[in-house]
Amino acid sequence: MNNQNGKRFLKPGRHLMMGNEAMAEGAISAGLRFFGGYPITPSTEVIEHLAKRLPQVGGVCMQMEDELASINSVMGASLVGAKAMTATSGPGLSLMVETISMAANLEIPFVFCDVQRCGPGTGSVTDPHHNDLGLVRFSGNGEFEVIALAPMNCQELFDLTITAFNYAETYRCPVFILSDAYLGHLHEVVDIPPKEEILNKVIKREVPPSEEISPRVFSYLDKVKNEYVIPKPPIMGTEYVPGMFLHTPHGPEGILSPDPFRFVQTMVDKIKTNKDKICLTENYKLDDAEIVIIAYGLPVRVSYRAIEIAREEGIKVGAFRLITVWPFPDEQVKEVVKNAKAVIVPELNYTGIIAEQVERVTPLGTPIIKVPQVAVFHHPDDILKAIREVAQ
Amino acid sequence: MSGELPMYPSEKPEHPYVLDSYAGRILNTYSSRFCAGCGYGIIGQIYTRVFEDLKLDPNLHPLVIGIGCYSQILLLVHADAQKVLALHGRAPAVATGMKMANPNMKPIVFSGDGDCLGIGGNHFIHLCRRNLDCVIFIFNNSIYGMTGGQGAPTTLFGAKSSTTPYTMFENRSDGIKLALAAGATHVARTTVAHPRTFMKYFKKALKHKGTSVIEIVTPCVTYFGRKNVDSLGAEYLGLEGKKMDTGGKMVDWIKRNSVRINQAKFMTEEELFNKYIIGEFRYESDKPEYSEEYARIQKIAMGDK
Ligand SMILES: Cc1ncc(C[n+]2csc(CCOP(=O)(O)OP(=O)(O)O)c2C)c(N)n1
Ligand code: SF4
Repeated sequence: MNNQNGKRFLKPGRHLMMGNEAMAEGAISAGLRFFGGYPITPSTEVIEHLAKRLPQVGGVCMQMEDELASINSVMGASLVGAKAMTATSGPGLSLMVETISMAANLEIPFVFCDVQRCGPGTGSVTDPHHNDLGLVRFSGNGEFEVIALAPMNCQELFDLTITAFNYAETYRCPVFILSDAYLGHLHEVVDIPPKEEILNKVIKREVPPSEEISPRVFSYLDKVKNEYVIPKPPIMGTEYVPGMFLHTPHGPEGILSPDPFRFVQTMVDKIKTNKDKICLTENYKLDDAEIVIIAYGLPVRVSYRAIEIAREEGIKVGAFRLITVWPFPDEQVKEVVKNAKAVIVPELNYTGIIAEQVERVTPLGTPIIKVPQVAVFHHPDDILKAIREVAQ
Repeated sequence: MSGELPMYPSEKPEHPYVLDSYAGRILNTYSSRFCAGCGYGIIGQIYTRVFEDLKLDPNLHPLVIGIGCYSQILLLVHADAQKVLALHGRAPAVATGMKMANPNMKPIVFSGDGDCLGIGGNHFIHLCRRNLDCVIFIFNNSIYGMTGGQGAPTTLFGAKSSTTPYTMFENRSDGIKLALAAGATHVARTTVAHPRTFMKYFKKALKHKGTSVIEIVTPCVTYFGRKNVDSLGAEYLGLEGKKMDTGGKMVDWIKRNSVRINQAKFMTEEELFNKYIIGEFRYESDKPEYSEEYARIQKIAMGDK
């Protein structure tokens, strides 16, 4: 990619980019001001790209001493009002979960890019493996909900990163982008929209006008409307702050809450009750489909190819794609699998982390076929085989 | 910390600064949650005092507090101070993010000996190495107070704690030596028995551009004092220890166990064993500071050198 001479927005039009760079550029477009990271394959290009680009736009990119420091510096930056992000891979995520849990507790917004690699342990560093989702959705002690988005190409790495920042601002919970070793290293053309279009989308971090400032800076249930109010994130160094940021169960003013139940309920339900706005999905040839494929991330692309071939053979198969993997869109999936003859879940892992969720909402008796794969792409034939088997 | 607020006797204190504290002004309790004889009350009060006397701008001096007994200082510090409780050991990293995202700020970090030299040792080293503009206090009570009196990296040789029931035998880690080696530009140690010196160092640190590391030796009566005698490791001198089960006795012991830096120059290693050397170890005001250096890098990146 050519040097952008210090501009936050790339020239509109087509750019050839590596996945990790597309994600980094998406973040800069969304207004990223602070990145704290620690090199780890396959996410390293993110910090490398941002080390060059962020100072050009007046932001800060710091290589910290370890992942614990990375995520904590991101917290610090977000606390004083900067849009902040980190990027890492499985082993780094494992180190960061304590802080993620604290950030969720204090509703400090940040974006987390997980370029997944093959685990467990150090694993095999340049191979893709969607093995982190289990850790992501339970990332840390305590009970809270996170949002996880799964792009499937470089264009989406750019676009969904902007969405991720908006989600972080709106819902004030950890927002993950689930990339992987192949996607992060893929080079594809990304169509950059004009600056105005991006700016229209981006939700800014700012102190609310002084007449709107209330001591309630953390989420709470509005009992009259019976919906959760998620105030704008407070900013240290301004008058819009609570008396203290305590990562213990607290009320909307930040003061110790005598009612931990209500606190935990708020942390979980503020996301769950907004599922219809958070859950992004995509239907592919689903209208007349008898067999339904449910997939996210790279396996979606392979599934689409398998569906084309199967359709030529006269098999009525379609796909339901999860763009938001977590929270899991129960209702939508329920609707899609209701009349299906069979459900196929190709996942880039062995256990079938999402397959388990699908099982939960699929009528008893409908067969669910997992197509697991580890460390390499699925071949369309893998999925075709499953399709043909259930079609008979 | 449970949901209940502290319920110690709460008569209105004579001390004017107590009324400026969070507990005093917001909660009207005029009390702390520390054990009787603990040194943290002194530290909290001094912080509030300096904050009030210098009329520090709360917007520019966020307070980042680690996890330990001293976390409760947040009730004693100035009501206007903006405070955040960080995770155990991670306060220096949080402060780094704050300072870099808003370079006008000068974060103040509270951390304990276990917090800063145990679990958070790595962050502490790198904070000093970067010479990031902030003040970091290490409250050295030679023990893990909050979790019930386990040995800390700073526990003195020969001391008993719940995890060193047969006395401490490990080498002690010295926060000051670490800070000096790592490159902090303002390094000092004092004790709660020398509150005026502490205030002097604190005020100087606020004017300093770079990392100020100030270690304060403070008593933990409950878990250190009650279990140990004041001869601690100096039995070889033929000393017979006396109990240190009150704040007064411990402060006394801290005074006796501290050696001024210029005195220490003439003492042997053996004489200094298990002692605290107090004083100002380094003050360099002309060393490059991280956020300023980064601003320079930003200029280069933007193309106007
Ligand atoms: C990751 C993690 N590990 C352990 C703990 C438990 N813990 C809380 S405070 C503390 C010791 C603090 O000791 P120190 O920093 O010396 O402060 P003091 O209590 O003596 O004031 C420990 C081990 C924790 N909160 N988080
Ligand atoms: S346990 Fe020790 S450090 Fe903690 S409050 Fe009591 S005396 Fe102070």
